[in-house]
Amino acid sequence: MKRDLPALIGTIVLALLLAATVAAPFVAADPEAMNLATIHAPPSLFHPLGTDELGRDVASRLLHGGRVSLAVALATAVLAAFLGTAIGLLAGYHGGRLDALLMRLTDGVMALPLLPLLIVLAALDPAKLGIDAETQSTEAFTIGRMVVIIALVGWTGAARLVRAQTMTVKARDYVRAATALGATPTRIMLRHILPNVASPMVVAATLSVGNIILVESALSFLGLGVQPPMASWGNMLTGAMNVIWSAPLQALWPGLAIFVTVLAFNLAGDGLQRRLDPRKA
Amino acid sequence: MSIWLLGRLAQAAMVLAVMSVVVHGLMGLMPGDPIDLMIASDPNLTAADAMRLKALYGLDQPWGQRYLAWAGQVVQGELGYSRLFAQPVLAVIGPALVNSLTLMLSALALSLLLAVPLGMVAALRPGSAVDHAINAFAFASASLPTFWLGLMLMLVFAVSLGWLPAGGMQSLGGDGGGVIDSLRHMALPVATLAIAGLGQYARHTRAAMLAEAGQDYIRTARAKGCGPARIALKHQWRNALLPLVTLLGLEFGSLFSGALITETVFGWPGMGKLINDAVMGNDFNLALTALMLATAMTLAGSLLADMAMARLDPRISLR
Amino acid sequence: MPSLFRLLLTIIVLAVPMAAGAKDQLAIGLSQFPASLHPNMESMMAKAYVLGMTNRPMTAFDAKWQLVCMLCERLPTFDNGLAKRETGADGKARVALTYTLPADAFWGDGTPVTTEDVLFTWEVGRHPQSGVGNAEMYRRILKIEAKDAKTFTVHLDRLTFDYNALNDFQPLPAHLERDRFSPDPATYRNRSLYDHDSTRPGLYNGPYRIAQVVAGSHLVLERNAHWRGTKPDFDRVVVRAVENTAALEAQLLSGGVDMIAGELGLPLEQGLALAKRDDPRFQVIFKSGLVYEHMDVNLDNPALADRRVRQALMYGLDRQGMSRQLFDGRQPVAHTQVNPLDGVHAGDVPTYGHDPAKAAKLLDEAGWILKGASRRNGKGEALTVELITTAGNRSRELVSQVIQGQWRALGIDVRLKAEPPRVFFAETVTKRRFAHLALFAWVSAPENVPRTTLHSSQVPSAANNWTGQNYTGYADPRMDTLLDAIEVELDKPKRVELWRQLQHLYAQDLPALPLFFRAEAYVLPRPLTGVEPTGHQDPSTMWIEHWRWRP
Repeated sequence: MKRDLPALIGTIVLALLLAATVAAPFVAADPEAMNLATIHAPPSLFHPLGTDELGRDVASRLLHGGRVSLAVALATAVLAAFLGTAIGLLAGYHGGRLDALLMRLTDGVMALPLLPLLIVLAALDPAKLGIDAETQSTEAFTIGRMVVIIALVGWTGAARLVRAQTMTVKARDYVRAATALGATPTRIMLRHILPNVASPMVVAATLSVGNIILVESALSFLGLGVQPPMASWGNMLTGAMNVIWSAPLQALWPGLAIFVTVLAFNLAGDGLQRRLDPRKA
Repeated sequence: MSIWLLGRLAQAAMVLAVMSVVVHGLMGLMPGDPIDLMIASDPNLTAADAMRLKALYGLDQPWGQRYLAWAGQVVQGELGYSRLFAQPVLAVIGPALVNSLTLMLSALALSLLLAVPLGMVAALRPGSAVDHAINAFAFASASLPTFWLGLMLMLVFAVSLGWLPAGGMQSLGGDGGGVIDSLRHMALPVATLAIAGLGQYARHTRAAMLAEAGQDYIRTARAKGCGPARIALKHQWRNALLPLVTLLGLEFGSLFSGALITETVFGWPGMGKLINDAVMGNDFNLALTALMLATAMTLAGSLLADMAMARLDPRISLR
Repeated sequence: MPSLFRLLLTIIVLAVPMAAGAKDQLAIGLSQFPASLHPNMESMMAKAYVLGMTNRPMTAFDAKWQLVCMLCERLPTFDNGLAKRETGADGKARVALTYTLPADAFWGDGTPVTTEDVLFTWEVGRHPQSGVGNAEMYRRILKIEAKDAKTFTVHLDRLTFDYNALNDFQPLPAHLERDRFSPDPATYRNRSLYDHDSTRPGLYNGPYRIAQVVAGSHLVLERNAHWRGTKPDFDRVVVRAVENTAALEAQLLSGGVDMIAGELGLPLEQGLALAKRDDPRFQVIFKSGLVYEHMDVNLDNPALADRRVRQALMYGLDRQGMSRQLFDGRQPVAHTQVNPLDGVHAGDVPTYGHDPAKAAKLLDEAGWILKGASRRNGKGEALTVELITTAGNRSRELVSQVIQGQWRALGIDVRLKAEPPRVFFAETVTKRRFAHLALFAWVSAPENVPRTTLHSSQVPSAANNWTGQNYTGYADPRMDTLLDAIEVELDKPKRVELWRQLQHLYAQDLPALPLFFRAEAYVLPRPLTGVEPTGHQDPSTMWIEHWRWRP
């Protein structure tokens, strides 16, 4: 344990973060309460981190923004892992034409430049897909939309990984035995192969969360992320960048939050890899 | 040419074709014709004018027809005109490509120059304080949002200290345009990109070096009395670089698609900005050509990497 | 803590030596690069800003909002005989205007600007395939008679009060462009020298010509050797485009640019913050203009169709407070779509101050009773309002969030939505798909008649192919009559009276909820004088020959 101090620190930080964001609605003030009289106020008793350009409490927005950013990141990581695993399993197990098709699809999505693809997806009009205005304004939809968009471009790494693992495991004796005994492909995939690909998948997913948080902040910078007044670390940081010359400290808190969280996920994921897959450590 | 190579090229061509359909389709789904936007900003534009302009640019045809028209043109070598810039597509892409290549290659070189030695040093003593420190540094550099990093560097070096220019490609005075001037202007964006990228290269180098460390030839050399550093510098690093080749192959395409955020922050007109402007401006000819170029380069990169690996590592054979 | 940091930052910034000495070059920062440079294709502010230094239209509005001749000797009027009434075959009044090009107007290669150029420009403009956007202006010209190389008479198909304004008419150099146009007009747009060979001197007739274009980065303008007007102060003008406004400000602070254009530069909040820092190197001028920030109301919505509800919404807003607290008081509150600087502005229209009590009373009268925290009508429905605006515009984001808060206090549930401009303008607003309110801005010209936005015939619908900009669906015969009458009323006092009636009707009926006239921040170095922000669409660069550097 002592050997893996960074991973330990990472995990502890994450636990604290999770606790803070879960507790946010109960302990923090209203993140959308404006007070035009106290714009850009310095830290005080009621506002431990000061106020932003509309007089809203920065600390509260940081916590609530954390909820949004973490929710997006975790949900996306899970969805991308799920998609990637499904495709990787199918490709690796069945081989042949299906494999070639799926892998070419993977190659294609990987080959397209990431940001332009995200921009096009983010610019699509939900109304064209039949989603009415009522649903569009809910928080769940906003977050869900982000999750789907990023997951749609992020599953490729997982797919390749799972496919490679599947092909290795498929050649093993117990799998051959199961096939000989008449197990259906689905059963084999779920009962025999999936458990073996699980640990590298979990590691990859953990390591991808940090990246997703960065992607979300990049989308906010481009104006395509979560829109205010809903707070997310990405849009808080973007807003702070615009006033960087007059209120430099406003960029400090969301920037620090993103940095610490991404670093923590990376360190924890790295530590996880060392435990689950020591050969690659 | 070998069968394998032909096969890969054919597959790449197919992927390109499919991706062009996908991108063209997605762009078509984006709401907002540029002509519709013109109506909003120019009250004198009548509906009849809008119809006329749409017909002129071929925007009134159904999507399938437009795609086939474009594809037919491209196959004949006609890449068309950019609607936004009123110039041939290649004339617009050319300078942007040069700018992006300059930036990305420099950043890549700087990144590797820093990352590979760091990775090797970390691998020499796995689990030590040095190793953990380098690991943490590698992760840290990859944990910063690019636009934040860029603006922070700008704040410190350009505004506060005044050592470097805050953006652009050259000084605007009569003395601009020289090599030193260009280098000074490149410093901050290249630094931003290099810092963001060196984390993964350092970790890959470290992982590869460690993987090699368990190999027999290393153990033999140690048994013969060679120190670890000497082994690293003489034997190990060559083999450890192989996984890097694969990684670099995948990164090849990014040389052509630029870095949108860094380019925007530092006012460096490269492919990233160009693609973004083209996509957002519904400039189909320009956007598709640029995106297909970047995609083709990525596919070419991974092909080249596979071929290089086969050459460098006799254990690998290309089926 | 933050103020200490700011102090340190200021000290460090001041310690950097400024570029001192004589000024042979002026570097202007712009937040967008003009993608194309042809004067007559689609209109773009970045293009207008740059071309303001290199090309002159026939007429323009100056900083005092008076119509002046840019490329003519005298404005034709009925008084000086250069304008003559005509009658068309259908009995409609028409007008013939005689313009004379200045004797000292030359293209950058020494060729004089002649009637030939005017005729060529008209030919390009009215050709259906040339790609010109604003073809309406060219279509209104029935005939141009060339009297000699410098004098010509334009016959218009209608007589309106602004008959002698040819503001969008930018002559093209026939001697260079005709060869690019005549062989194949349909591809003229892609072959024009303006984009193919932008540095050809003969394309420009203003005080400067474009000497170098580095696509996406900057443009270098140098003196036009054949300009005979007032000699401009600078040998070179460089326009640098930086899209990220924080980076643009960094360029200013580090000396990369000398000034930032107000027309297309820093957003207002950033300009205000810069002004507050009192940097001794710069002065910030705020000019509010003809950008009318407002909320279009979808009058088909039953709740909002009730005028009392609209008026209550207005009383519920503290616009003065918003202007003071968000914009340092720099954005004047708008009461109608006519700017106070406009000559036809009426100062006595009904206004709506911040009066929540009155708002509550009006809502009660309209049948929306406060039950708990929300207002409900007889059927139990809650009063919900969806406010849509363009994403990426910080001021609008802030304003809409404040509006949400202020209306919430009245018991109205406000939902905010931000859409990218492309969706907003091309679908939501143009096709009247916004449910309740759309927050955006109209840009207009001095004494611009709001026909397309207020006339009942201009409501876009599928039937008329979405023509018109009357997104609110406002249809009032009195307004229609006023609009029709104003356009043809040549007598100024009578017209002013008609305008007064129009503004009264607007303020009473509230087809749109007025907010502000947007202000722009012009950041200029102290030694630079003579820059006159106009407040309307003609950029201040059209008078660049009057800018002076006095260290």
